[in-house]
Amino acid sequence: MILTLSIILFFLMVAVGGNRGLDSFFALVRTLLALLVNIYLIAWGMPPVFITVVISIFFVVTVIYSQNGRNAKMHAAAFSVLVVLIFILMTAGPVLWSAGISGYNEIEQYEEISMYLSPDLGVSMSAISLSAVLLGLLGAIMDTAVAITTAVNEVHVNQPLLTEKELFHSGLAVGKDILGTTVNTLFFAGLGESIMLAVLFMRNEDSFATILNSKALFQEVSGLLIGASGCLLIIPVSSLVCANFLMISEEKEEKNEKMLQKCYKYFEKLLKFVKDMLK
Amino acid sequence: MGLLLVFAAVFVFMQYNAFLYQDTVVRVTYVDNTFSYDSEGPDGDVERYYDQSMKARILNGEKRGAEISLSNIYSDSGVNDESYRKGDRLFVSVSKDVKTGTILGKKRDVYLVMLICIFLFLLLLLNEKRGGIIFASLLINISVFLFALSMYGQGGKLISIAFALMLVFSILTLLFAGGFHKKTFAAILSTLLTTLLCYGIYEIVLHSCKRLPYEMMDYVVNSADLSDLFLTGVLMGSLGAVMDVSISIAAGVAEIIKQTPDISMKALIRSVREMGYDIMGTMINVLFFTYISGAIPILVVKIKNGYTLYHLVNFQLIFEIIRFLMGAIGIVLAIPVSGLCAVLLLHMGNRNEEGQVK
Repeated sequence: MILTLSIILFFLMVAVGGNRGLDSFFALVRTLLALLVNIYLIAWGMPPVFITVVISIFFVVTVIYSQNGRNAKMHAAAFSVLVVLIFILMTAGPVLWSAGISGYNEIEQYEEISMYLSPDLGVSMSAISLSAVLLGLLGAIMDTAVAITTAVNEVHVNQPLLTEKELFHSGLAVGKDILGTTVNTLFFAGLGESIMLAVLFMRNEDSFATILNSKALFQEVSGLLIGASGCLLIIPVSSLVCANFLMISEEKEEKNEKMLQKCYKYFEKLLKFVKDMLK
Repeated sequence: MGLLLVFAAVFVFMQYNAFLYQDTVVRVTYVDNTFSYDSEGPDGDVERYYDQSMKARILNGEKRGAEISLSNIYSDSGVNDESYRKGDRLFVSVSKDVKTGTILGKKRDVYLVMLICIFLFLLLLLNEKRGGIIFASLLINISVFLFALSMYGQGGKLISIAFALMLVFSILTLLFAGGFHKKTFAAILSTLLTTLLCYGIYEIVLHSCKRLPYEMMDYVVNSADLSDLFLTGVLMGSLGAVMDVSISIAAGVAEIIKQTPDISMKALIRSVREMGYDIMGTMINVLFFTYISGAIPILVVKIKNGYTLYHLVNFQLIFEIIRFLMGAIGIVLAIPVSGLCAVLLLHMGNRNEEGQVK
């Protein structure tokens, strides 16, 4: 079934997207392989969150740059994705940790599967859950960041005289238009996934209080909410970063040692380093 | 700023809302962890287990204020157990002499409400009006979902409920997103058509391949319609993505027609293709990460227990992969379908109106 559907998807992508559809399909295969590498590295005992952040950098670099080329707007997108990712890691991590998101939930505990799987693994499940949440967030924030920085760049090309602040505001204005769509996509994906759980809660006739405090619900909903929040957060961040980067990339010759300019240069160096590493 | 205060107030209330619960809620006041024993896992990893002895104060009910002692066992990895910390609020059942108790679970409502508040805060901060509309549409969609669920619980036929649900979801969501406008109707039409196409493809592929191992799904209930439940979830997941593509393309076409009303059909179709390229790759990525990442914890547990990649893909990941593939197929299909709908409804509509004016 997987194979048949993949073949259908492949032909559809080529039919609708031509060469670029083909490229996207292979990008997808590469992403899948990288994700598998990530999972196996975690299983072999590498620190989960660290490995996830490293692989995320790989995802950001390959997905953003391979689809849109190397230029100031894509640097801005990649940089703001990493900023938001780290920020979410710092803020959502403690919340998930204290809410106890990890491990089997109260329903899975009584399922067959958990009976014959050994729980003695020597890997922290909290860290793995946090990694899963971070990866779930990644696709959505990359999508939004690229949309925003592309639009800000477009405005900048058409009206080169606009200041940083005006560019930032135009980024926010674009953000308002795309605010709902990604959130909706995430929402329906989550709803579709949790349909089994909803039916189970209904059949068990659990009380509202039980459902509200259950680990199963929290596991389903927290990733969704954090993903949606990340999508919203990236709108101002990427507008700001893009407005700055566009300005900086133009006045490079003037040797104006600003804070963000340094960041920009370091970021370019980091990218080169990552590229060398990949080779 | 006022918003922040409201959310802070909600948060504090959630922290002290134990009196609303019938089950006994306690706050852990003292924890003592002692190493208990080592256990060796299938990979030869050593897992350390700890005993926790805790003191906790009851926060609600008749025995409010009484102190009880609790005990718990946890391991470093926490696959099948949980460690508790000082300040945690737990649900317990208290023994008759009010000395000890059994832990039923953690009180998680605070964290859930906190995440919802953060999301809502960001939404309203970015744009009060649009944000409010989006949140309202999410709430209404959830209520519609719950209503449909209760219909199903009362013995309604799942497939017909599922289709009614799709219809209501797409009309409501797209009206909220686009308002009463021709482009909205184009988007609704293309969403429904694409979802039907997806359903057709799914049914054909399903019947030509070997049966899916439904009993391996998460949260299986004893019911005969597992396959229909899974189908509903699959279609609902792709619905969100299809709506996203449809509204983007319909809005794009509307904008182009507004800018250059006398654009030729050929040029319009070319710009739809151009828009499609841009949307396709990124949207498919969104779905990929959303679906597959959720399975990571159980995958790690299974890999550690020696399962092969073949087993993982065919019995564990299969449902996530099918969800993702159907969503991706929906996205790709939605591009030509919504382009066609938008061009027909908006472009042709324009011409007819002009004809009438003449």
